[in-house]
Amino acid sequence: MEAATRPVFWHIEHSWFMYVLMVPSLAIFCYGLYRRYKFWRLGRPVARFDRPWERLRRVLVHVLGHGRFLRESIAGLMHGLIFWSMLLLFIGTVVVAIDTDLRIPIMRGWFYLIYQSLVLDVVGALGMVGLGIALVRRYVLRVPRLQHNREGKAPDPSDWVTLLSLFLLFVQGFALEAIRIAANPQPWDALSVVGYALAVPLRGLSQEGLIAAYQFFWWFHTVTVFGWIAYLPWSKMAHFFTSLLDVYFSDLRPPGEGTLQPIDFEKAERLGVSAITDLTWKDLLDLDACTACGRCQDVCPAYAAGQPLSPKNLILDLRDYVHAHAPALLAGKATVEELPPLVGGAIKEETLWACTTCRACMEECPVFIEHVPKIVEMRRHLVMEQASAPETLQEALKSLEDRAHPYKGATASRTDWCEGLEVPLASEVGGEIEVLYWVGCTAAFDPRNQKVARALAQLLHHAGVKFAILGPEEACCGDPARRMGNEFLYDMIARQNIEILRQYRPKRIVTACPHCQNALGNEYRQFGADFEVVHHTQLLKELVESGRLKVEAGSLGKVTFHDPCYLGRWQGEYEAPRDLLARAGADRVEMERSRSRSFCCGAGGAHAWMEETGGGPRVNQIRAREAAATGAQAIATACPFCMQMMEDGVKTTAGEEGPRVLDVAELLLQAMEETGPHTRQAQAAR
Amino acid sequence: MDPATKRPVQGSAKLVMDSYAEYALEVAIQLKEKHPGSKVVAICVGDKPTDDVLRRAYALTADEAVRVWDPAWADLDSQAVAHILARTIQKLGGADLVLTGREAGDIERGVVGPTLAEELGCACATIVARVEAVEGGTAVVRREVDGGYALVSTRLPAVLTITNDETNVPRLPKVKDLMMAARKPITTLGAADLDLDPARLASPLELVDLYIPVQEGQCEIIEGDDGPAKAAALARRLHELKLV
Repeated sequence: MEAATRPVFWHIEHSWFMYVLMVPSLAIFCYGLYRRYKFWRLGRPVARFDRPWERLRRVLVHVLGHGRFLRESIAGLMHGLIFWSMLLLFIGTVVVAIDTDLRIPIMRGWFYLIYQSLVLDVVGALGMVGLGIALVRRYVLRVPRLQHNREGKAPDPSDWVTLLSLFLLFVQGFALEAIRIAANPQPWDALSVVGYALAVPLRGLSQEGLIAAYQFFWWFHTVTVFGWIAYLPWSKMAHFFTSLLDVYFSDLRPPGEGTLQPIDFEKAERLGVSAITDLTWKDLLDLDACTACGRCQDVCPAYAAGQPLSPKNLILDLRDYVHAHAPALLAGKATVEELPPLVGGAIKEETLWACTTCRACMEECPVFIEHVPKIVEMRRHLVMEQASAPETLQEALKSLEDRAHPYKGATASRTDWCEGLEVPLASEVGGEIEVLYWVGCTAAFDPRNQKVARALAQLLHHAGVKFAILGPEEACCGDPARRMGNEFLYDMIARQNIEILRQYRPKRIVTACPHCQNALGNEYRQFGADFEVVHHTQLLKELVESGRLKVEAGSLGKVTFHDPCYLGRWQGEYEAPRDLLARAGADRVEMERSRSRSFCCGAGGAHAWMEETGGGPRVNQIRAREAAATGAQAIATACPFCMQMMEDGVKTTAGEEGPRVLDVAELLLQAMEETGPHTRQAQAAR
Repeated sequence: MDPATKRPVQGSAKLVMDSYAEYALEVAIQLKEKHPGSKVVAICVGDKPTDDVLRRAYALTADEAVRVWDPAWADLDSQAVAHILARTIQKLGGADLVLTGREAGDIERGVVGPTLAEELGCACATIVARVEAVEGGTAVVRREVDGGYALVSTRLPAVLTITNDETNVPRLPKVKDLMMAARKPITTLGAADLDLDPARLASPLELVDLYIPVQEGQCEIIEGDDGPAKAAALARRLHELKLV
């Protein structure tokens, strides 16, 4: 067995010609990649070269380990089989090259038998299984997200060329192996399991015939492989490289700090994105990394509700635009102003306004494409450069400017909600404030959410937490302005809020609004702020754990928790509210989609102030039905917008019969009132 | 609201442009866009803080902004404001069209526009929803009247008091314009710059009271064994309360 190997150019004459063929193939290949690289270089700079080890780790986990791919088991396995088999086969090819071209004899003995024969045959077969699954999913089962659905655009031919060409290359490899084994039997042939089996029917054929067939297939394989290599960077197979780079250069920062970037208004000449050169190079790389797998489209609430947004098609439309016009820019034949419009042209305005910034697409994308920042950047262009926004958003923006909250026509004051409760103002209490309760506009002005604020204040009282509110000094956190694309207004609001918060120097800030929490705690960091901001469920959990808040299991019945996008995906908190519900005695049931896969309520991205257009059921109705399907008596949530949307969703789908919608704080208080010593106290306060 | 002085308390609220004035400004800007070479001048009677309001006008692409104020003017009423505006407009060399809101969004008197026309000795069309055309010394405007519209032709110069309409929803300012607005100069005029009649600055009206009525609600649950019984009980109760 020591001598076990295989002749590389078995019966192949003029093998030098293979190297001749390799030259144009690699030249076209390199030029294809270089062309894309030139496109990326048109983008604005963005810092993505820091923390190389962390980046490599991400590549290991999510490319080699297929981390995100496996969020969907069948599709993940399909891709994994193809990917891992091609990777191992590529290593096999490198081994051949080292052995033959560098004349370092490594393809010998046990290594040859185990790796080059057994392993490669097995993974080759598994790769074909993967390709088979892919073909069946795309063309037999016709999985919707894989189907071409861009009006007026031709489908990408490399969708089928990729799968078919790979399949044929695998077949050719096995055919060659089988012929060689049939014509030139060796004692170890059985280790090449697939080739050996395929060789059985060939055994009776003449030696000459087999050799001639071998020579023919060998050259055929060589030509098709080199053709395939040349085609790679011009097809969706470019993702072998672009996706790898995209994962490496993905955003390592937490969402609240990374997703949206501030603008230096003193220096900026163009606001937002309206041209290829306004995108960052990473944005442009993103476009080339997309394989149109459609996972983003599958999880997109806007798409599900029939609104004119598919994150997949957004990326593909952007890519088409870049590929169509980047060459003219590079050649100096056109300026960005001379090109057809990007925003309002290649990308429709209503597409941009349909996004709820829920981040489901970004969480799902296996190659870390960043959809939301692109959308918000294009909104920035619309709002700040063109002063264009849907009418209801204009009203909200105006109210934000004039009244420091987005609720046009709200007549309540910032402190009406706490009438009858002892809630001191920060300006009245001296000394250090242990906890500053940031109420938020929606809890202050919306009657339903005022009740949540009252419940939270009572819970804080029960726990003996000394807290204060800003009252009339509180203003909108700026989240709606920022999501609408009015970074200018957000910038002003944020700086003013930071100034006020710095005056009081609270040890901690608590809020029941994940949007406020994300703004104050994460996004304000971009302006140098460093506030510790916790969500009310996080603080309450802490208070329960430390014994300051005594909770016994009440009879809450079956409860399902709806994860707010801005608490979950944006800030990574999934457990605190669930933990509280469990302690309060809720019989917790999960919806089909929960935690990082939670389905948006439809209010994010300033949609709380927008009319939903689109024929089908609205986002909140889809979610309300999903919640009702669990059989829960109550839907718990932890965000004022989710509260509004879910209540509306339940009302319009199930009516009075539907589950109640309650904030986690309300359920906690309910359990305490049923069981605890606070009962009378709480009733008195109401 | 301060009950002693009968004045609204501003608190931390920002001074903003009156909403009817916003519609008027929007109409003015649309006219300017339609008639190249014309100019929009925003005029405001008010103390320093009202500069913010004029900056808004600049951000919405007004060409000039003029603020008129004198420390002696503590308590101007509508007639006085109209008088000051008229003199200001004359000082600035007059205007073909003077647009005001149909009334102030807060005290809703609707006096300034017509009085201003009287002061300027020119025509006045009130509650104008649209300016249909301005040509050859006349303007055709669409006035809102009970149950419909009236198309009115008026010679220029004229004062129009503008009401809200789907065609004059105030636009959003572009950020570039907002930023430039902060740097544009605001012309300030005082009593000394204008040829004012002191008698017209004194108010013939006195504000006797200003208050928000107290609204109270109470809830009563009508008991009854079944639907018809409840309905009968409800009807009795409504009669008792003399509501039906």
